[in-house]
Amino acid sequence: MKRLAFAIACGSCLACITLAPTDVRDASRVDLERAVAVPDAPRAPVPAPVPQVAAAVPLPSRPLKAPPPLFTVLQPVAGKPIVSFRLVFHTGAVDDPKGKEGLTALTADLMAQGGTRALSSSQLLDALFPMAAELSATTDKEFTVFEGRVHRDRLDAFLKIFTDVLLEPRFDPKELDRLRTDAVNAIVNQLRGQDDESLGKVALDALLYEGHPYAHFNGGTVEGLKAVTLDDVKAHWKTVFTQDRLVVGLAGAVDAALEKRLKDRLAALPATGAPAVKLPPAPGVHGKAWVIERDTLSAAESMGASFTLRRDDPDYYAVAFAASYLGEHRQFHGVLFTELREKRGLNYGDYAYAEHFHQDGWSSLPALNVGRSQQDFSIWIRPVEPQNALFAARGAVYFLNALTSKPAPNDRFEIARGFLIGYTRVWEQTDQRRLGYAIDEAFYGTPGFLDGYRKALAELTPEAMLAAVKRHLSSDGLNFVFVAKDAQALAKVLSNQAPSPIAYPSPKPAEVLAEDKAIATQALPVSPGAVEVKAARDFMER
Amino acid sequence: MRFRGVLVGLAVLTWAGTAAAQKFQTFFPYPLKVATLPNGLRVVRVPFESPGLVSYYTVVRVGSRNEVEADHTGFAHYFEHVMFKGTKAWPEGTRDALLGRLGFSENAFTTDDVTVYFVNGPSTSLDKLVELEADRFRNLEYSEATFQTEAKAVLGEYHKNAANPGLKMEEELAATAFKVHPYRHTTLGFYDDIKKMPGYFEYSREFFRRWYTPDNTLVFVVGDFDDAKLMAWVEKGYGSWQGKAAKLVIPAEPAQKEARQVHVDWATPTLPRHLHAWHTPSAGMSLTDGAVQSVLSAYLAGPTSPLYKQLVLEQQLCESVSTGYGEHRDPSLFSLTATLKEERHRAAVQAAFDAAVRDAVSGKLDAKRVQDIKDNLRYSLLMGLETADHVAMQLAYFGGVLGGPGSVDALYQAIAQVKPAQVSAFAKRHLTDSNRTVLTLTPKPAAEKAGQP
Repeated sequence: MKRLAFAIACGSCLACITLAPTDVRDASRVDLERAVAVPDAPRAPVPAPVPQVAAAVPLPSRPLKAPPPLFTVLQPVAGKPIVSFRLVFHTGAVDDPKGKEGLTALTADLMAQGGTRALSSSQLLDALFPMAAELSATTDKEFTVFEGRVHRDRLDAFLKIFTDVLLEPRFDPKELDRLRTDAVNAIVNQLRGQDDESLGKVALDALLYEGHPYAHFNGGTVEGLKAVTLDDVKAHWKTVFTQDRLVVGLAGAVDAALEKRLKDRLAALPATGAPAVKLPPAPGVHGKAWVIERDTLSAAESMGASFTLRRDDPDYYAVAFAASYLGEHRQFHGVLFTELREKRGLNYGDYAYAEHFHQDGWSSLPALNVGRSQQDFSIWIRPVEPQNALFAARGAVYFLNALTSKPAPNDRFEIARGFLIGYTRVWEQTDQRRLGYAIDEAFYGTPGFLDGYRKALAELTPEAMLAAVKRHLSSDGLNFVFVAKDAQALAKVLSNQAPSPIAYPSPKPAEVLAEDKAIATQALPVSPGAVEVKAARDFMER
Repeated sequence: MRFRGVLVGLAVLTWAGTAAAQKFQTFFPYPLKVATLPNGLRVVRVPFESPGLVSYYTVVRVGSRNEVEADHTGFAHYFEHVMFKGTKAWPEGTRDALLGRLGFSENAFTTDDVTVYFVNGPSTSLDKLVELEADRFRNLEYSEATFQTEAKAVLGEYHKNAANPGLKMEEELAATAFKVHPYRHTTLGFYDDIKKMPGYFEYSREFFRRWYTPDNTLVFVVGDFDDAKLMAWVEKGYGSWQGKAAKLVIPAEPAQKEARQVHVDWATPTLPRHLHAWHTPSAGMSLTDGAVQSVLSAYLAGPTSPLYKQLVLEQQLCESVSTGYGEHRDPSLFSLTATLKEERHRAAVQAAFDAAVRDAVSGKLDAKRVQDIKDNLRYSLLMGLETADHVAMQLAYFGGVLGGPGSVDALYQAIAQVKPAQVSAFAKRHLTDSNRTVLTLTPKPAAEKAGQP
């Protein structure tokens, strides 16, 4: 698409895979079931009791499904002129060797951008440019996606290039240097230096999964990237980009003949390579807080907890809907958005997520093929004025407590339900997105995922939602990350939990002010000894 | 999805007044139906294969370009937020609630020239959507307290963007290159002005009267709907909307006659930046000038340009090289930007920029590359029209900036006609030293090391 210059500002063939056994989820429900009293009436601003946080309880890992080698999703669309390729390898940052964090993403980048045996990186650009063909690779914790789009006029030329990228990458040492430097800069300059919100989200991952293969940034660490050699890349390519890890997606102007051509070529990939990484239990921490110190105008906040809930759990739809009710990503009617932004003007937006939150550029749609064996719940508070940092965190906890303690009011429940039944259809409008959902279904074992979601929503009641939420969520399980300038001061108030009243420049309704008094002293589930100040300049160094 | 490759028959509907006949479309693959209501509102419909779904865009031709009063920068964007605050019939919160319940998602954005409101959702409730949208454009009503609360949300938006040096660069470049035209401030506005916004309640009423008028607005509906029913709902909802857009004089920017320079020190880790910008004519005034700049943009610094290959792939002095060009109503800026890997490469990058411009000016353009660029632009357009939302976005944005419902097609027709000699002549006329502003950004530690201020 021609880029718009905005000054500112957004029939698959499925594997027959049964749902995973449900008993596993009960083994590790930690203390996420504690009921938390919600203050119903205004109170005097007295210091909140400092909570005693229970010890972490590890959450066992449960591997995702392994579809058969070269399992294929074929979705022809009559009359459509565009061909979409979506090749999803079950490999990601978890496959990075210790001390070489970033190897998988760097290998994928070198494949997608570094040229092929026939074409240098420069010639690759020359070939793709006139067709406006799209070819990219993205790496997440457990998956790497090679995405291609081309007009059918140019299919033959593109198919050769797209498969050469996978089968005959050039592995030019000069390109490795270039892409490695870019990857280091993405940490040193972009993540640490110019994106407080991403820094907060990546730091929350690091906090929740300390010592676990999920802990490091998908793009790697500075020292890990610097340790990678060209031989490492070549060896990694052969061992993780293999047939047994690959699901093939084709949509648009496609047919069985194209599927055969593609798969005939992909048969040249190694049949198998390294065994799948056996993930250790997630640490299951709660009650911890990191304050990342950075010279910034405002305070960015993320909070969350790892949990055992996944799409293949019978409670998933109810809890996912509860998160949407609390704060659907970048939408206007969630509880957090309404209460914190609309009524109080705290910031630009406030949202909640029942799966690991993965922002896909400016899109408001959920990212695809970023599945995880181990999931987490999180809340994203967009930057607030520094003096309101604690109040905003307390507000999030206060409204989460309301969600977990009493049935949602019928009127708000119906708004959220009606919205999501319609909005989920917007999630599956493009070929790439439909492929993405079908491929996720294969790995989670959840055929007909979105239809199932809409059906479950139609039958859900506020009481059933509350029951499911109580089985999986509690503010007691939360951990917190703040990115702020005066980190020491924020750490201090987090530890002593002094009241944090808020002042407004305009009149507020009495009911808002009354609720503010309760929020100002809302206990945060953070223990004084679990608050750490960290410097942004050291983040993801090793 | 139905795809019409080259020529699409015209579709004309007479509707309660003047009817705009679309010329034959040659590049935009979907037929447009255009009607103009007696009050001046233009309504553009595009049937599109999106079963059960519709995309509804409203474009008001107001942006930061219209912010002519001192201390009111950023107001068009702020007012975009206010447009969600309700009416007498649908007070604050009730509109959101109803749209949500019906399954619609909505949002909006503001640029230098336009404010765009968009809603996506089920066709089955399109009647209610038309009613709600028409109601807020006719009858917006909000309290002073609500207005003031929203100002804090806008401040939050500034805060979320401020961590990235891109905002500061944009602010400094605009303020240096422009002296009188409102393009001298960003769409977000100056930070100090944003902080004053809660005091502008009365002004906000005036702003609504000035610019939110039917003759200054276009509605685009794309997707699965019954056209006759839609137009009946539109007439009922918008027919009584009255008002004429204000005729304020937007100060014209005088020609720049001397080279200008501005430097930014950035206190936190980032890579150095180097930017050259020139005043150029707008696509809004001449589609040919817009088309030539689309081609020139890719020719100078696109992924197949010698500049990109030299600085990014071969010498690896830069992480990225790009051009900044976007269609505008008024003469704006055309720019070249590099993100340097190290401060010490700045002189070499500046020399490479100068050489690339000299090459374009020389008249010896690579005709194959020009053709490749035109092919790229044409295929990019086609590949970017996959959903009703994509189609509506393209139509609405270009329609709003360039002024006509069929502006996308007209622009791409103009691009197809661009000749290498035109590109070269344009570069020679506008990419001159005296018309140039150079912006440099240095991370502070590097600045100290290099002995810069």
